[in-house]
Amino acid sequence: MTKIKLTKIARAKKFHTFLKLCIYFVLICISYVYLEPILRMISMTLMSTKDVIDPSVDWLPKNPSLSNLKVAGTVLDLKKTLVNSVWFSALLACAQTIVSALTGFALSRYNFKFKKLWIIMIILAFIIPVPLLMIPRLMLFISAQNLLGFNLIGTPIPQILMALLGQGVNSTILILIFYNFFNLIPYSLDEAAMIDGASPWQVFVQIGMKLSVSTVLVVFLFSFVWNWNETYITGTLVRNSIELLPSKLNMFDSAFKTYAAAGRGNAEFRINEAYKMSATLLSITPLLILYGFVQKRFIQGIENTGITGE
Amino acid sequence: MAKQKKLLTYHQRQNRQGYRFMLPWIVGFVIFTAIPFVATIYLSFTEVRQTVLGFKITFIGLDNYIMAFFENVEFVPAMLSFLGMIIPYTFVILILSFILAYLLNKITFLKGFLRTIYFLPVIIMSGPVMYQLIDSSSEASRIDTYLKFSDIFIVQMVASYSRRFALLLIGIFDQLSIILWFTGIPIILFINGLQKINPNLYEAAQIDSANSWQILWKITIPIIKPLALVVTIFTIVNLGTFSINPVYGLIKTATENTSGGLGIAATYSWIYSFVVLILIGITFLIFRNKEKGRRHDS
Repeated sequence: MTKIKLTKIARAKKFHTFLKLCIYFVLICISYVYLEPILRMISMTLMSTKDVIDPSVDWLPKNPSLSNLKVAGTVLDLKKTLVNSVWFSALLACAQTIVSALTGFALSRYNFKFKKLWIIMIILAFIIPVPLLMIPRLMLFISAQNLLGFNLIGTPIPQILMALLGQGVNSTILILIFYNFFNLIPYSLDEAAMIDGASPWQVFVQIGMKLSVSTVLVVFLFSFVWNWNETYITGTLVRNSIELLPSKLNMFDSAFKTYAAAGRGNAEFRINEAYKMSATLLSITPLLILYGFVQKRFIQGIENTGITGE
Repeated sequence: MAKQKKLLTYHQRQNRQGYRFMLPWIVGFVIFTAIPFVATIYLSFTEVRQTVLGFKITFIGLDNYIMAFFENVEFVPAMLSFLGMIIPYTFVILILSFILAYLLNKITFLKGFLRTIYFLPVIIMSGPVMYQLIDSSSEASRIDTYLKFSDIFIVQMVASYSRRFALLLIGIFDQLSIILWFTGIPIILFINGLQKINPNLYEAAQIDSANSWQILWKITIPIIKPLALVVTIFTIVNLGTFSINPVYGLIKTATENTSGGLGIAATYSWIYSFVVLILIGITFLIFRNKEKGRRHDS
C-alpha cells in the first residue's frame, strides 16, 4: 500500500520536474525571440560591405569590421546628439519625478474634497490620445511666444513646463507608482512626526521622500527612458532646433542620403540597411548601458512598488 | 492669520494641505489637458490661419470632416490600417503577456536573468527604433513572407477558409518579436497581480483535489481579470503612440503646416481619438459585464 503511494509520489515529482523543464524551455525560446532584433542589429553592425552583399553570410560576418559604426556615428552626429539627449531627458525626468511624488503624496495622505474625481481625471489624462491635445498646446505656446517676445517653440521650455505641471509622458503611471508606494508607509509615522511639530512639507520630505529612495530611482528611470524615447511631442514642440538622438534616428534615411551624396558614392540598399541597423544600435546603447547598471534595483523596485492601480 | 490657522478643523486642514500638494498637477491638467481637449473639438470645425498678429480662426462647419472622410485619399486607409493593426495586436499582447507572466512567476532558478531579458524592451522601445526594425524586416521580405509561410499546412488550411485571415496570421507571426516587445509593461503588471494572490487559495483548491489547470481557470484568471482591463487599456494607448501608427504621421504633417493645417489636424486627431476612446469603452464593457455575471453567480 505504502509502496504504491511512494511510487505515485515519485512519479508526480518526476512529472513536476518535467513540467519545470518545459517552462524553462518555453521561456528561453521566447527570450530568444525577444533578443533576436538586438542580435540581428549587432551582427549587421559588425558586417563589412562584402559580408552584407554575400548571401552566404547570415549571422556571423566573415570579415568583421567596425566601419559601419563609424559612418552611422558621423551621420547621427553622435557626440552632440548624445549629450543633448542626456541632459534633455534628465531635466524632464527630474521635473516629472518631483511633481508625481507631490501628487502621489497628496492622494495617499490627504482626504480632500473631490479626491475621487481627481483620481478619475488622472486616469483620463492617460487615456486621452496625445495628438488631440498637441494642437491647442502648440497654439498656446505660439501665442505665448508672440506675447512674450522670445522663442518658446524650439526650446525645451514648453516641455519642461508641461512636465513640471504633471502633464509629461505617462505622468499618470508615475503618479500611481508613488501613490501605491506611499500607501505602504504606515500613517502612524506621519502622525508621530506631526505630533513632534513637523509641517506637512517636512513630513513629505523627511518621511515620504527619505523612505522612498528606491521608488524615486524607479520613477526617475522610467521617466528618463520614456522621455528619451518620446518623439511625437518633442517633434512638435522642439522640432529640429535641438538635435536629439531618437529624432535624428528618425531622419536617418534622409541624413544618410545627404552624407552619401557628399562623397561616398551611391550606396546599395542592403548596405544602407547595415548602416541603419548600426545607427539603431548606437541609439539604444546608452539605454542598454544604463539598464545594465541599475537593472537589479530597477526590477526589484518595479516588483515591490507595483504599478498596478487599485 | 496665525489665529485663523488654529481654528481650522481637521477636515479643513486635510482639504487645504491636500490641494496644496495637488496644485501643480491640477494647474497643469486644466491648462494643458482639459482646455486643449475642449479646444480641439471646437478647432475641428474651423479653419486656423497663423498671421503676424496671432491665430485667425474662422468657423467653417463640417468642411474639415467632409475633407477627411471623402476628399483626402490618405486618411481613411490610414485609419483602417491602424484599426487592422491595433485590434489583433492588443489581443495577442494581452494573451501572450499573461502566459509569460504566469510562467515567469512559476520559476525560481534563472528568475532574475529571464526577467532582465523580458523587461528589456521597456527600456529600449521607441518609435524610431521600431520604425527602423519594422522597415528593415518588411521592405525586402514582405513579398516572400507569404511564400515562406504558405508551405505550412495550417496556414494553407486557414487560407482556404479566408485568405485575409491567413495574411493576418502570417503578419502576426512575421512581426512576432516586434509585438513581443510591447509586452514589457503588461508582463510587469501581471506578475504584480499574480504575486498578490493569496497562496492559501491555491492550497485550499489543492486540498479539494483541483489540478493546476482547474486552479488556473477557477482562481488565477478570475482574480487577474480586472488587471486585464488595465493591461488592455495600457496596450491600446501605448500602441497608438508609436510612429508605426500611420495616423500619427498624417496628423504630424498637418500640424507642422502652421499656416493653414491646424484645423484639419484637429479634425484628424479628434476622429482618431474618438475611435481610440470607443475601443477603450468597448474593452471596458467586455471586462465589466463578465465581472458582474460572476458576482451574480456567487
